[in-house]
Amino acid sequence: MKKFENFVYAILDSKSNKTLVILLTLVALAASIMMLPTKVVKAKMLPGKSDNTFSVYIDTPTGSSKEETYAVGKCVIEHLKNEPEILDMEMYAGMGIPLDYAGLVKGAGMKNSENVAEIAVNLTDKHSRDETSYMMVSRLRPVIKKACEPIVKGTTVKFIEQPAGPPTLASIVVEVTGHNLKKIRELAFEVANILSNTKTLVDVDVMADEIYKKFELIPDKEKIARSGLSVEQVNNIIYLAFEGMAVAHKNSANEPDQIEIFEILDPSTKRFNELSMDALKEKLNSLNLMNRKGMMVPISEVVRIEKVDSKPTIMHKDLHRMINVTAETDQESQVYPLLEAREKMIDYFSKKGYKVEKMPGMSTYMFDLNLIDPASGEKYLLRWDGEMKVTLDTFRDLGGAFIGALVLIFLLLVIYYKSYTLSAIVLAGSFLSIIGVIVGHWVADLVTRDTFFLTATSLIGFIALMGISSRNSLLLIDFAKSLMEAHGMEKRRAIAVSSATRAKPIMLTAVAIILGSALLASDPIFGGLGVALISGTVAAVFVSLIFVPVLMDNAKAMDIDDENPIHHDKKNISVTK
Amino acid sequence: MIDYKPKDIAGKLALGFLKNPLTLVLGISLLLLGFISLQVMPREEDPQIAISGGAVIVPMPGATPKEIENVIVNPLERRIREIKGVDHVYGVAMHNVGIVNVVYKIGERREDANLKLYDKVMQNMDQLPKGVMQPLVKPFDIDIDIPILTFAFYPLKGRKADYEKLFPLARDMQQRINAVENVAKTTLKGAHKPQFNVEVDLNKLTAYNLSLGQIMNAIKSIAVDVPDVKGRTKDAKLLVFGVKNAIEDVDDVKNIIVAQYMGSPIYLRDVAKVERGIDFQNFKRAYVAFKEKKGSALSPLKEQITLTVSKLAGTNAVFVAEDVLKVMEEYKDRLAKYGFGYILTRNYGHRADEAVNELVHHLIITIIIIAVMLVFALGFKESIIVTFTVPAILAITLFIAYISGQTINRITLFAFLLSLGLLVDAAIIVIENIHRHLHSHDSDDKSMEEILVEATDEIGAPTNIATLAIIMTMIPMLFVGGMMGSFMKPIPLNVPVALVASLVVAYIFTPYLSLKLLKKPKHKHHRSREK
Repeated sequence: MKKFENFVYAILDSKSNKTLVILLTLVALAASIMMLPTKVVKAKMLPGKSDNTFSVYIDTPTGSSKEETYAVGKCVIEHLKNEPEILDMEMYAGMGIPLDYAGLVKGAGMKNSENVAEIAVNLTDKHSRDETSYMMVSRLRPVIKKACEPIVKGTTVKFIEQPAGPPTLASIVVEVTGHNLKKIRELAFEVANILSNTKTLVDVDVMADEIYKKFELIPDKEKIARSGLSVEQVNNIIYLAFEGMAVAHKNSANEPDQIEIFEILDPSTKRFNELSMDALKEKLNSLNLMNRKGMMVPISEVVRIEKVDSKPTIMHKDLHRMINVTAETDQESQVYPLLEAREKMIDYFSKKGYKVEKMPGMSTYMFDLNLIDPASGEKYLLRWDGEMKVTLDTFRDLGGAFIGALVLIFLLLVIYYKSYTLSAIVLAGSFLSIIGVIVGHWVADLVTRDTFFLTATSLIGFIALMGISSRNSLLLIDFAKSLMEAHGMEKRRAIAVSSATRAKPIMLTAVAIILGSALLASDPIFGGLGVALISGTVAAVFVSLIFVPVLMDNAKAMDIDDENPIHHDKKNISVTK
Repeated sequence: MIDYKPKDIAGKLALGFLKNPLTLVLGISLLLLGFISLQVMPREEDPQIAISGGAVIVPMPGATPKEIENVIVNPLERRIREIKGVDHVYGVAMHNVGIVNVVYKIGERREDANLKLYDKVMQNMDQLPKGVMQPLVKPFDIDIDIPILTFAFYPLKGRKADYEKLFPLARDMQQRINAVENVAKTTLKGAHKPQFNVEVDLNKLTAYNLSLGQIMNAIKSIAVDVPDVKGRTKDAKLLVFGVKNAIEDVDDVKNIIVAQYMGSPIYLRDVAKVERGIDFQNFKRAYVAFKEKKGSALSPLKEQITLTVSKLAGTNAVFVAEDVLKVMEEYKDRLAKYGFGYILTRNYGHRADEAVNELVHHLIITIIIIAVMLVFALGFKESIIVTFTVPAILAITLFIAYISGQTINRITLFAFLLSLGLLVDAAIIVIENIHRHLHSHDSDDKSMEEILVEATDEIGAPTNIATLAIIMTMIPMLFVGGMMGSFMKPIPLNVPVALVASLVVAYIFTPYLSLKLLKKPKHKHHRSREK
């Protein structure tokens, strides 16, 4: 202890040593903060979470049949069949899997059409499995997409992992907003194209119906009237023939539900020969309607057939027309591919003649792009949503919380010390634990197999650290002051003594925090918090025992203030030496 | 005798409880309360996020997306914008139907949100365009929409699986499971109802010169239910009689006379294939493939029915899951009789239990590690004192969390793990100061009690301020908005409580236990200790 006391005293006693300490600290601070923009330490909202389950979403193009969708699903299951870690798989064709956290915002509960299917894959327990679920997905994704997507052209197969935190629509969502439906559709596909060509982005999907060819029967009103039929009758019979209808029902004491009597054309007789207008005409020719006089009129006599494009669903968000383009990241933070794709988009759309405007100012929409078509003057907005928006919102709020915490601590200290300088010293000391936090993440990234991201939980850890390290400085200042006041010790010596005496409890509590967080660090989600606490505490110890004393020594406020002592009763200070 | 007059709350607490016989009782009851809370608190894997919202579904048969957009989605969106607290409005204009999804800001009370949405739609019913059907307002309810258990009924190998029998049985099970305490919603996915299928042969229709409409009318006219008729007799008694539904089974349907042809009747069976089957027009189907045990081969993909079970909000997933599994067990034989078995394809109850137990395990390991560390740093008895304070603090925090209606989940336990390092601080600082005072050269002149109170009191002020500083860092986190804020809420809710508890416990129990366990060292000749 004496040694450490002399060491601190030696630093305080020489001006050059003090400057060196301050300089070294500033260099360390600058270097660690530089690790963020240079991507040495990467930021992400929450890291991947290994789970005992993942799901596969299959979307065949709008207008595909259930058999086509089933074929793709079957293919996926065939490919997963030989995975030793898979326990069971459930395929739900035409609907979503039983709702889970991930499906909540992805609209899984709303799925109700022949061109969708979802597969729930249950794995062995994560503790007895070497491969994490996200590694497994990352390995299987390219293989399965390559094998199964071509079965039906235009199919997307998506792999959905359980989110570590709150669920989002997708990691990356671009909302293409504008008024001109045709144009935003076109832009959406261009955006999707850019996203698919960006590294680490996978499962790119445009959330719009595909446009397919369909046939439209146009009833000939005059002919219908003259043959003694009605348009309604024509509509009903066509629906009855091909889709079928429950024409009556029966209640029964022995059945849990009503039994319906369902009428439809025999599948063998209603099947079309081929996908063509002639085949449709032929079938309609043999389908007769009975008019009021009891005569049979073939449907083909009273309708005209036209081949038209299907009309896709129109999506709105907050009263604007938009189309979502979604993408997932493959073991990467969404921030970096997003910025890369954004640059590409600016390039691409500028070259296409659009006037590209960036969102001015700092907000959680700051990455949005405005496109103006110079020819028509129409405006389009490319808005980033999904996990990116949640990340920005969270980091903004946590940043705000952090500043709030700073202000609150500062006020508390000013009340306690009645000195701005001392309060600022404590704050400066606690802010420096950021060096430890960032360096800690860098080290963690080096030693772990996956990328170790700086996450929202790391920020929480950092905020908590502020409190912890300000406590260290606080006890130090308090003790040094009482030494000077009660024992009339010279300022420098008092600081050195207090630094040496408080070293033990500071170290002890630091070790307690480090050990307490050790298990936290191994957790996938709260790993960031653990690492932040461990490495931040280490930094805080050095800062409070060496850097803070230097600042204290330089501070006038540390001098004895006889009129306003902290400890009014000097006899009550006991000092061990 | 204690002459020392404490200045800080720390010293006052220490003084008040030091010789009090109830201190021990207080300590034991705190630990008990904590233990009971841990056992009975509802367990979940993830904390509940209060997302409120709903969908307004307005069907308009025969309308194209653009028509729907103009007459349904746009006006409806404008109306919904009038509601306060709405975060986003999503409109979907499809063929035949318009849907407007409303998402409220996080933290909006669900009951209020649902009521406001329903109210707004009802207020504007008069403005609905002609030709639309009754709008449906469907609020989201995450708690009961996310099942905690799912079962898949699969056909047993080598047995004849009777899918038609499975549905009534599954319905029966659904009814039984819904009766289990705290079960909220049960659904069947991939289930197919029995139905009488009438598949009309187009060629025969042409041959008999019939139309589909005639057949429809023939069936409609015979399948009617009539209520009982009451007649009165002369002597004022009631004579009740009723017309039996003409269709009892599938043969009755077959024998419906569709038309007369050249004097002889044409029966439905002549022009159509009539049979009792399943609702094949329902394209939703579920399949399952599974392994008997790890390592064996995956079974071939078979059709299945999934039964999903969700629980009421704020109830214990673990208990609900256990109860439901018991009911399912009773049905095993009956299922096997029809050629079916079942596997559990989701069990959140188990997952929640596992997650909570794992973290409790982590907490215990961490406490032991810290205890061992303290043995080396402070000594055996001191270490025991500090180690005791940890469960006491956690017990207080758990109990407060329990009575304030929180559930125990991953994030709550992380809040505990996070605060663990901070919790022992107060106790360490107190015990360290006691230790220092006991070994200081003037300790011989004072009584043990006086030293304890004085040592506690001395570090009171800075420790209070420092702990307050940490609490202050947590408070702003309460105001983090959005899903993430809601997700992390247990941290700012529980850490400050734990920290305040840590102060109180450190000031009350550390001196108390020190008095019981520690002894004043005997100093010879006032020799000062160098460390």
